Amino acid sequence: MTAVIEARNLSRWYGNVLGISDLNLEINQGITALLGPNGAGKSTFMKIITGQLKTNIGEARIFGEKVWNNRHIFRRLGFCPEDDAFYEELSGFEFLAGLLSLYGFSSAEGEQRARQALELVELTDVADRKVRSYSRGMRQRIKIAQAIAHDPEVLILDEPLNGLDPLSKRRIIKLIKEFKNSGKTIVVSSHILPEVEALTSEIILIHQGKIIARGDIYFIRDLIDTHPHMIRVKSPQFRQLAQTLAAEDYVLKMAFEPLEQAVVFETHDRDRFFNRLNEMVLTLPVIIDEITSPDDNLQAVFDYLVGK
Amino acid sequence: MFFLLGSASILLALIIRFYRLAGQWTESGQIIFQNILMVFFLQFLIVILALFYGTSIVSEEVEGKTLPYLSSRPLSRASIIIGKYLSSLAVTSIMLVSTLLISYFILNLDRDFQLQDIWTIVRYALVLLLGLAAYLSFFTFLSTWLARPILLGLAFGFGWENIIQYFPGTTQKLSIVHYLKSLLPQYSSASGRLSFLFIRLEPTADWLAVLILVLITAVFLALAALLFTFKEYLIQD
Repeated sequence: MTAVIEARNLSRWYGNVLGISDLNLEINQGITALLGPNGAGKSTFMKIITGQLKTNIGEARIFGEKVWNNRHIFRRLGFCPEDDAFYEELSGFEFLAGLLSLYGFSSAEGEQRARQALELVELTDVADRKVRSYSRGMRQRIKIAQAIAHDPEVLILDEPLNGLDPLSKRRIIKLIKEFKNSGKTIVVSSHILPEVEALTSEIILIHQGKIIARGDIYFIRDLIDTHPHMIRVKSPQFRQLAQTLAAEDYVLKMAFEPLEQAVVFETHDRDRFFNRLNEMVLTLPVIIDEITSPDDNLQAVFDYLVGK
Repeated sequence: MFFLLGSASILLALIIRFYRLAGQWTESGQIIFQNILMVFFLQFLIVILALFYGTSIVSEEVEGKTLPYLSSRPLSRASIIIGKYLSSLAVTSIMLVSTLLISYFILNLDRDFQLQDIWTIVRYALVLLLGLAAYLSFFTFLSTWLARPILLGLAFGFGWENIIQYFPGTTQKLSIVHYLKSLLPQYSSASGRLSFLFIRLEPTADWLAVLILVLITAVFLALAALLFTFKEYLIQD
């Protein structure tokens, strides 16, 4: 079976800056997440497969057809761009109905589809308000509405959960899953692992324009867990904490920050480390002010994976 | 802002009207309209309207980051440009014709209107619309070509066009305004104390002037559509 989205030897650079490099991948029906830090090449890939950008080398196809300058493919494609940009003077309803008119729908059908899309993203109440007056969450939802209003088979969502409050995030995640259940192909980009985990288990890790791993979430988790994590604990009894935890075999290194009353642990087993820390809080007279993970961001994980 | 600019012609007509009522100006309203307001329309208003609407056709979408909403729809890229051109032309035409009519009637309120007057105003309106279409087409082309088209547009509209039209011989034919002036009788047969405004015009035949203006419009619009079809526009983060 031919993949819905295919990229063959895709390379794109901006002057001297590399966007993506020799990227090969196939994406099938369901939700696929592109995960990578900012600047990894996710948006470049999405812009190429939605016909916004040309490739320098290679080609991108959807349903076996080239994308660049192929207007016929756009009827089957919905794109939610990353930028928070709108025709601010239009109301949410006018924005959707106007864009739907570009598909050749009659005005009655366009209006009906616009109302349906507004209902799906729960914006019916504010349909007649200008987009300019929308909150960040509403703006993100109206952007998704314009991508789904014509009922496309393929949805490309560039950072759709960016800047949303937890409730809005939950709504959007639910909506995206409903689309998946109706047999559509959805590609979502994110730089936040827990967001992606809530959406799908099919993940492509992208870094510096290249795919560095692909698989389900458990594979990626295992991959990440083979590398040590840093955990910074701030406590008035930081020396006592360090003394106790130094005996544990999963604690690999410790570094003191006496001025901050903190100690940074390096461990290859976060679960055991946190279990032990919980026990200590319950059994020993220690107060913990703060726990942070200096490397608990995707950039650090990717640096480990690429051996930096 | 552009409605205010359009209103400037109405204000000018009102001032002249009051000046005439005070007995300070003896020429007829028709002559004053031809010799003063048409200069304002021809050499300022249509250029500035076309410049600001035309040069923003692509740059507004790129700078506002709204271009993906249009370019991810099942439309040919050429039709996006032509559609935006036509909508800009419609808006500017309404502004232009309405202010033209109002200022004409203000200056000619004391006349008994005849069929000839209607033909005169229709002719003025058609010439201005031809000019607007040609300038808008050229500035639309600049918009698809350059990231910052406004400076070159200003230099063309108020530099090149204003200077080259006074050159003798065929050089003046390298400006759009030359063909517009050729279609207006006052530029070919100027006399009296306002005739200094019309020096050096060596008019082109009416039919040829219309043909060239239509060709300019078609060629630059086609170039704009072609360029927009094959060029990619980078939206800066």
